[in-house]
Amino acid sequence: MKRNEIRWIIGIAMVVVFSFGLVFSGFAQEKFGLKNIPEIKNKKAINMMVETGAAWDKVIEYIKQFETATGVKVNIERVASPVVYSKENVELMAGTGYYDVVYVETSWTCEWSDYLFNLEELAAQYDPNGVAGFQEDIQNISPVLLRCGQAYGEQKVLPFYTYHMGMFIRQDVYDDPTEQANFKAKYGYDLKPPATEKELYDQAEFFTRKKGELLKGQPLEHDLYGVAMMAGAYQINDEISCRIWGKGGDYATVVRNEDGSLKEFVITAKDKEILKEALTEYKNLLKFAPAGCLTANFDFACAQQGEGYAIIQPHQFASLFTWTADLLKQHVPDGRLGVYPTIGGQPYTGAWSLGVAKASKNPEAAYWLVRYISSYELQKVLMKEGGQFSARMDLLLDPEFHTPETEYPLGLTCSYLVDVWKNQAPYVDNYWYFNTRAGGKVYEMQMNALHKPMADQVTIDECVQEVVAKTIELTSKFDTVPIREE
Amino acid sequence: MREEITYGTVAGYGLTRKSTIWETLTSERYFKWTLLIPLIILLGIFMVYPLLYCAYYSFHQWGMRGDALYVGAQNYRQLLNDKAFLESLYQTFKVLIICIVCELLIGLGLALLWSREFRGENVVRGLALLPLLVAPLILSLLWNFMFEYDFGAVNIVLQSLGLNKIYWWSPERALYSICFITIWQWFPFATFVLVAGLRSLPKDVFEAARVDGASPWYTFRRLTLPMLSPLIMIVVVLRTMWLIRLFDPLYGTTRGGVQTELLDWMVYRTAFIYFDIGYGSTMAIFSLVLTMAICAIMFRILMKALGGTK
Repeated sequence: MKRNEIRWIIGIAMVVVFSFGLVFSGFAQEKFGLKNIPEIKNKKAINMMVETGAAWDKVIEYIKQFETATGVKVNIERVASPVVYSKENVELMAGTGYYDVVYVETSWTCEWSDYLFNLEELAAQYDPNGVAGFQEDIQNISPVLLRCGQAYGEQKVLPFYTYHMGMFIRQDVYDDPTEQANFKAKYGYDLKPPATEKELYDQAEFFTRKKGELLKGQPLEHDLYGVAMMAGAYQINDEISCRIWGKGGDYATVVRNEDGSLKEFVITAKDKEILKEALTEYKNLLKFAPAGCLTANFDFACAQQGEGYAIIQPHQFASLFTWTADLLKQHVPDGRLGVYPTIGGQPYTGAWSLGVAKASKNPEAAYWLVRYISSYELQKVLMKEGGQFSARMDLLLDPEFHTPETEYPLGLTCSYLVDVWKNQAPYVDNYWYFNTRAGGKVYEMQMNALHKPMADQVTIDECVQEVVAKTIELTSKFDTVPIREE
Repeated sequence: MREEITYGTVAGYGLTRKSTIWETLTSERYFKWTLLIPLIILLGIFMVYPLLYCAYYSFHQWGMRGDALYVGAQNYRQLLNDKAFLESLYQTFKVLIICIVCELLIGLGLALLWSREFRGENVVRGLALLPLLVAPLILSLLWNFMFEYDFGAVNIVLQSLGLNKIYWWSPERALYSICFITIWQWFPFATFVLVAGLRSLPKDVFEAARVDGASPWYTFRRLTLPMLSPLIMIVVVLRTMWLIRLFDPLYGTTRGGVQTELLDWMVYRTAFIYFDIGYGSTMAIFSLVLTMAICAIMFRILMKALGGTK
């Protein structure tokens, strides 16, 4: 064979190999979507519950496409979020199989683990690409949220939108030279987003002003509060979680055997001390918050900041950042928000997720619906049209959300979430909520118990005692892992 | 048991045949049972069975997992020593008294005004009915926003009148705000019952009193009020039953926070949030017995009042 011919053959071979490489890399990058769902043999209709709200209005339209493509009818029941738990809990425990797809708040995953399929098991059974295909797709989901959706090492649910928390500040006020100078003169250090409890306290105090005083050199038309918080008997526990995790504590410490399995839960002296400290600091901050905070939920706190009444939300669900920013734009046209990690850098985390009930009459269709809703394709709809923040990092990093037009407030929140997940991932495995079957019950108890000292119903010491006693009582009742107080 | 029907006699022999099921069911002897049995069956399924079930679990410890553990009267002992429960019972009584007194006073006052004929009376009465037509949960959500400290409509109005803002949901005021929402919704009920009562009172008695020179206050005290007392008692009995079960205004506002945890909220929280079915059942049974006892006492007073008007 002549040298020229050899060259030609090598050249053609290289082009062919390169082309194959391109084609296959294209396949590898292709996201899972509706078209990838294989034919579903079981055509029995499936039931699921979803929350009321605009986000799901949009998603439901796409679920209809799932019905058309697969021939499986999806019956959707819409309920307000506070009743999701009690309705599903009864059906799961009774084993009725009424809900095929189960709507799960990640802190309930362990509690319901006996009633939910391991999704890898279903992938092995129904997915042509097997567990590897499933793994390949979910690797794009936040590692923090994926871990929250696991129970005892098994992936029970897939998150579809996150309410991971963050700290919202009025960036325009922090960037104002007059405010910076005044702050430095009063406290002796630079005004910057608070990273310690002392800084947060100082700044809350600094920004609490009466009507007529100046903000950014302009007289205020109403009273101004340093902070807006959610001290009502509904979401205060999420705020307290940010604080105790940030201080390296928890409601109970997870103790493991050498093989990594759970040995016991211990409410250590350190845990109690940290809880007491967190509650005390929280209560101290309340004097710089609007009076309505004692019954406030997220909507009131965001409205306070969005309407220009408060400067800092020390702990708020990051998914509400865009809404608060839009409100601020309406009420304070030159206002701008910034989002940062909460003090200690370990904000409350979790996501609404979906799993498949073991009692389901059609786990095959339920599995594919869960995969479809958590897919890039549908998550993008949920984010773009429904305004919810996806649990998928590949979507949060999508250039479409980081153009000059979309960077604020959307892209900023996306970047915040991706960064905070990276930093927080090593800690999640040992958060007590995500290791106990009693998480859901204790969570509900905390809403009420942690609110009481803020309303002066009990002292902080009494509150700590109540939380400890109730945590032990509920965990002993609903979990098999022993719990004790140190 | 089927009856035998005799149609007549032929040569001394009665011509009898067994009655049909329909004839038996509609016979004078059994007709009352025919009407009652479906109701008794429904009551048995939907009331007596759940009640017995609830009573059974009140002697057990059960969290919906595994078998229920018999604990005897331990739940009841725990209940009587449960500080939070006793506190919620006290708060419930407070709400009960405040709401009933206010609703009756407002209701009676408006009933006296509206029992006369006046222009636009139908419009006024129609408007007064509106709060009763709104779902209590929706109403509580609306009031929650209206009572908000910084943005609430109520405080905005107060400020526009040159008054100070009020913190309606403070621990000191929250329970009274709940009472206000409840009274606002339910005063029309008392009003309309009493308007109906006033309109049905005999006119000649009042005419005689007027001729005898009785003052309006004397007439009200000695004639109107005693003759209205059966209706007042009906309002009190019904409202007592409903108020002990007060739930919606809490759900839409404080969710049991800021010292507003009432009896029914506590039952809900224990049974359907903690899923502590045993203890929750104990609370529910206690609440039922309490309601029955209060209503029995009131019923006796009502019967006496009815006797007094004969």
